[in-house]
Amino acid sequence: MPTWEEKLSERLDPQLAAEIDKFETEIALRKQGKLDEKVFAETRLRRGCYGQRYDNGHRHDGIRSQELRYTTDLTKGPDTLWDAPGMQRIKIPFGGLNPDQMDVLADLAEEYADGVLHVTTRQDFQYHFVHIDDTPSIMRRLGAVGITTREACGNSIRNVTACPLAGVCNTEAFDVIPYARAMAKFMLGHPDAQNFGRKFKIAFSGCRQEACGLVNMHDMGAIAVTRVENGKVRRGFEVYVGGGLGAVPHDAKLFDAFVPEEELLPLAQAISRVFGRLGEKKQRDRARIKFLIAKLGVEEFKRLVTEERQTLQPDPRWTEYLEGAGKYAEKPLKSPTFLNGQKRPEGFDAWYSTNVYRQKQAGYVVASITLPLGDLSSWQMRELAGIARRFSGDSVRTTVEQNIVLRWVSETDLPDLYRELRRVGLGAPGAGTIVDVTACPGTDTCKLGISSSRGLAGELRTQLAAKSFNLDDAVKNLRIKISGCFNSCGQHHIADLGFYGMSINVGNRKVPHFQVVLGGKWRDNAGAYGLPLVRVPSKRIPVVIDRITDRYVRERKDSESFQDFLKRVGKKDLRAMLEDLTKIPPYEVDPSFYSDWGDPREYTIGDMGVGECAGEVVSPAQFALAGADTLVFDAQLHLDSGEYDLADQLAYKAMLQAALSLVRAESPEARDDADSTIQEFRTRFFDTNIWGDRYAGNKFAQYLFLRHASPPTTHTNDQAHRLVEEAQLFVDAVYRGHEILAERGAR
Amino acid sequence: MEFSRLGIKLFAIDSSAVRVKDFVQIFHSWIQKQCVDNHQLIDVHDYSHIHHGPGILLVAHEGNFSIDMAEGKPGLAYFRKKPAGTSEETLRASLKAALHAASLIEAEPSLEGRVRFLKDKLVVISNDRLLAPNNATAFEEVKPTLAKVFGTKADFTHASAGTKDRLTILVSGIEV
Repeated sequence: MPTWEEKLSERLDPQLAAEIDKFETEIALRKQGKLDEKVFAETRLRRGCYGQRYDNGHRHDGIRSQELRYTTDLTKGPDTLWDAPGMQRIKIPFGGLNPDQMDVLADLAEEYADGVLHVTTRQDFQYHFVHIDDTPSIMRRLGAVGITTREACGNSIRNVTACPLAGVCNTEAFDVIPYARAMAKFMLGHPDAQNFGRKFKIAFSGCRQEACGLVNMHDMGAIAVTRVENGKVRRGFEVYVGGGLGAVPHDAKLFDAFVPEEELLPLAQAISRVFGRLGEKKQRDRARIKFLIAKLGVEEFKRLVTEERQTLQPDPRWTEYLEGAGKYAEKPLKSPTFLNGQKRPEGFDAWYSTNVYRQKQAGYVVASITLPLGDLSSWQMRELAGIARRFSGDSVRTTVEQNIVLRWVSETDLPDLYRELRRVGLGAPGAGTIVDVTACPGTDTCKLGISSSRGLAGELRTQLAAKSFNLDDAVKNLRIKISGCFNSCGQHHIADLGFYGMSINVGNRKVPHFQVVLGGKWRDNAGAYGLPLVRVPSKRIPVVIDRITDRYVRERKDSESFQDFLKRVGKKDLRAMLEDLTKIPPYEVDPSFYSDWGDPREYTIGDMGVGECAGEVVSPAQFALAGADTLVFDAQLHLDSGEYDLADQLAYKAMLQAALSLVRAESPEARDDADSTIQEFRTRFFDTNIWGDRYAGNKFAQYLFLRHASPPTTHTNDQAHRLVEEAQLFVDAVYRGHEILAERGAR
Repeated sequence: MEFSRLGIKLFAIDSSAVRVKDFVQIFHSWIQKQCVDNHQLIDVHDYSHIHHGPGILLVAHEGNFSIDMAEGKPGLAYFRKKPAGTSEETLRASLKAALHAASLIEAEPSLEGRVRFLKDKLVVISNDRLLAPNNATAFEEVKPTLAKVFGTKADFTHASAGTKDRLTILVSGIEV
């Protein structure tokens, strides 16, 4: 029987081929029981083979938890069954694709997954429902067209992202693509990047003021800048470090205002060494480089990196790409032309107004293809490859907004291009508008998902698209981003209207909720992070959007931005406006609240049976938790007013109050003082691991312990902002803690 | 030429009767009842937002079922993921699974008999470009296997839309 290994042996880079062969051997060893499951888990993650929801062999079907029976008990990681379908992530450096690669990506989705390609918020592709046995073939076929899955997951350097407009952007300093490409290649499998405690993400931007590469939320970000030295223009990068979203977002810190281009790769290498050596390894939730930099301070971190840089042996790869970088330019497929009097198809003008960007090269445009929920079918991908061959050549990019763009389209071709996109169902307008909702996989496929981010995104997209023609321009350009949990894969912190999923107990049932996060800034490379305002049942989120946007249209002053409007109105007022939406009708009155968008199953009924309705009995714990919520909110108000010390104190107090509510659930007479609360909480819930969320572990408890042990000596916006975020997450987790206690009690 | 991964698509008699979202609930209920023989049903995925896409997908360990909207022709698709023995056995097993799922849909009370499938023609798709490439040679080679399963009176037409598509065969003149 022929194999892809034989068929493609001539076309694979020998190093990559050896790497895939090694993985195949590791699969065989694991099957023979000769490789530990934990070791295998990390090795597959480093090849982009990720777990997927229900891969522990259990799934709640809405009535009961079912055991999924597979043919083997073999595991591919702790509590992860071999036969359970998984996710394959595919790295696409800077989102760059050509039509041949698109064809192969389409074929593989069809043959090994479910016929769908999903674009992620970091310009990757993901396949879902893939069997681990098929992954070496997937890797070989991708490798034959120059794509790797290596280090797409795991504690490694992830996909290097860049602005999809790089090279054609009107405001960029220069095209960052040669640098992003060189960085991706240089750091792939680099020995100095194999000893990280957590993942490491790098992004490139061509300019500061646009969203561009979202540098502020990356472990390492580089913004193109130039300097004139001795009458010559010199290229370099403003380099930032230690940014990140996750549960608690950190702003990146300026590392150096000008790193000359020849120093960029050695700098990344030196940073990797310092991170590998000093970064946290045991406590996973404190292991990103942002925690190391927060601990050391950016100046000390810089000193260590600079010192490390001096010890590096020169590597020709640091600079050998530079000769071509200055001259690098993409070759357009066609001559530049302008859109003149051609007949425009129906719907063209609306599409043109949102989906077309005029390049700095006159006569050429970038056409955005809006992908609902970041998805397209194999057939669409193959058709799109053909369309790209006809209209734009090799210059295709995925975007962090889960879309695809065709660059270097000759403007006069736009009506024909639009007709072709419409033919394959990819001609929807609304790119980069409120309709173009970004969402992580959430409960659809992610093991960590709490609420259905895709279900909500689909619903919002449908509702907003239906009324998009009547939406005010100010609202049209807002962005919605949704994460299924606090981990921010949907990038909710940097949206105008952000949401992250959570679950709340009502009586003995659970209700899917989303935290409403407002005040984030997409532009300026993810210039500001939003803060949670209030948690609202999932089914009422469309009303939240209506209310906020209606009010913005009604009350905004002149050309007041959304962020300025929110600041002016204030969180108190905004929260009051949404307060009634937090009330949940009893199940018997409206059961729709007790299932999630797009999923008719009752939302985790657990094993508790039907109990009293919400609102009938309010326990002291519920009162205490509501009080903790209020304290976090007040902390936010002080943060907004610049009273960082008060924000810090109230956030800390909120955590203590929430912790005490759990302690008193077990020991009603427990004393109300900080030391005793911490001690009791630690003994009863942390040390016993009763409270620890299965995936997040006890990370939220650490927020409280750290703040209690080391109160801040100086109060800054950064520190207070972080503690307020941490307090909110801690209080949310205590809600879950009470659920766990209730479940244990019921059993 | 071998069938290893194989798809069968049965077309709906009345396209307008297929309301794709109905199948989210229906497929979830199949999982609750685990009512598809020889399949470990796992999850339901809603892809109805994709134009001419897989519609609603029911994922199983052995193969995926979907209310498939490809080419704008709604139908029931079944894609087997692993061989079930020889090519003939794999084809028979796939056909059996597809017909079983079709019978469940046709009997589904909530659909009130609206959705029925053509039984005199269907499509067979080889979902493996290595073992069964899309070319005339492979098509000729697969015919004897098809004839064993569908009978010698059946008509087989090489129906792949383009050279990059999978080997697709329209089987007509049958009664399954």
